[in-house]
Amino acid sequence: MNTLLTLGQFGIFAGRVVRSSFTHKLPVARTIEEAYRIGVRSLPILLVISFFVGTNLALQGYVAFRPMGAQQMLGMFVGLAGVRELAPIMVAAMVSAKAGTEMASQIAVMRIREQIDALEVMAVDPYVYLVTPRFLGIVLVLPALTIISIATLIGSAWLVTVYQLGEPGGPFLALVWNTTSGTDLMVAGIKGGLFGSFICAVSCFCGFTSPPGPAGVGRATNAAVVISAVCCAILNYFVSEVAYG
Amino acid sequence: MDELWDRFRALGSFGRFSGAVLLRLFTTRWPLSEGAHQLWLLATRCALPVIAVTFPAGMVLALQGLQIFTLFGAQRLLSSLVGVAVFRELAPVLASVLVAAQGGSAFAAEIGAMRIREELDATEVMGIDPLKVHIVPRVAAALIATPILDLVGAVSGVMGGWLVAVVFRGETNGVFWANLWALSKPMDLGGGILKTTVFGGIIGLVATWKGYFASGGAAGVGRAVNDTVVIAVTSFVIANYFLTSALYGRG
Repeated sequence: MNTLLTLGQFGIFAGRVVRSSFTHKLPVARTIEEAYRIGVRSLPILLVISFFVGTNLALQGYVAFRPMGAQQMLGMFVGLAGVRELAPIMVAAMVSAKAGTEMASQIAVMRIREQIDALEVMAVDPYVYLVTPRFLGIVLVLPALTIISIATLIGSAWLVTVYQLGEPGGPFLALVWNTTSGTDLMVAGIKGGLFGSFICAVSCFCGFTSPPGPAGVGRATNAAVVISAVCCAILNYFVSEVAYG
Repeated sequence: MDELWDRFRALGSFGRFSGAVLLRLFTTRWPLSEGAHQLWLLATRCALPVIAVTFPAGMVLALQGLQIFTLFGAQRLLSSLVGVAVFRELAPVLASVLVAAQGGSAFAAEIGAMRIREELDATEVMGIDPLKVHIVPRVAAALIATPILDLVGAVSGVMGGWLVAVVFRGETNGVFWANLWALSKPMDLGGGILKTTVFGGIIGLVATWKGYFASGGAAGVGRAVNDTVVIAVTSFVIANYFLTSALYGRG
């Protein structure tokens, strides 16, 4: 029952954000600022995570396929698993952990310090001022982050293939290149944008409805990252089903 | 330069904190009942998110794997791929990500709130070691809960793969189960458990460390929660590569 209630509140929240976004002037400068913040702040962790996901992908693919004598197909495995699935979902997980929790805790602090009420009193629409720029920023930036993550992942998989496993690097890259089509990159980008919009909506909602006190801010931040990660994982299946099924 | 210096200082503080906690974990009689309580909380809080993430992950795996294996007419090997991928990598990493996101951030929020409300100082004034009563039980709970959740995630991932392969795409049920263990050994589950014990320790220590040294009111607690998830996930993904190399690299 409580879940249904929250779902309804989320619907009202999303509706207000959409309505306010269309009835007010678009905050272009704030959007660029948020896009820059989300992109640049998340990039270092994203690079580290993508790098080590790539190394593991190559290592595990090699170990798993060697009994079938298929270690030459490593490039294909990395291309398919990495580009189509792992990179988008890893980016979503890291952005929800970094940028999503940041959104949730910032907005939650504003809520409990009654700064959001202050905005309303000053006749500033808090939805347009706080949510819209973050939403547009994350949707703009996530596809780019996904492509960067794909490039990092393939690079690190190549490093492991050549230097740790001692397989030839040329055929590996050729296989990656042949199995990855433009459509795959496009779908990965679309997934990125879609996940980004979910992460932002969920995180901002959790912030807006934060319970009072420091413990409340902690709980709101906690809920934001878990709910958005679960949403992205489930959404991922449906997008993959439509795109590749 | 100053920033770099701060990083080193943080690393040193984390090292000292972890040393103190691990020492107490093994040498003192910390409250077992509190540990059991935290373990129960952690496991029940994280079980649903872990299932909700590994199940779709298994579904996607089967979906993509089936496409490739159909090219070679080797659909019967699908469940072997699902088994290897889920037991060795997906379940340990996804379960740990969710434990960090759900359990770790809750630890940081609780301990951080205790620090802000000066409850930790109050504990110390009463002559009780806050590390022993608040921190050690939580770290112990994370150490034990993460491997359990890894097993939960492994089962749910395989079930997700089974749903797509057998129910949606009409592969043969018997073949799916017969080939599940063709490439993977029970050892792979053991490797996952070993990995997730290490990851659970990292998560527990990072979360309680961030909460223990939280400062700056409610915003500080929010920051601690945020940092916890990011630092914990980054460090165990890096640790994962080395553990995988050690476990399977020569194999």
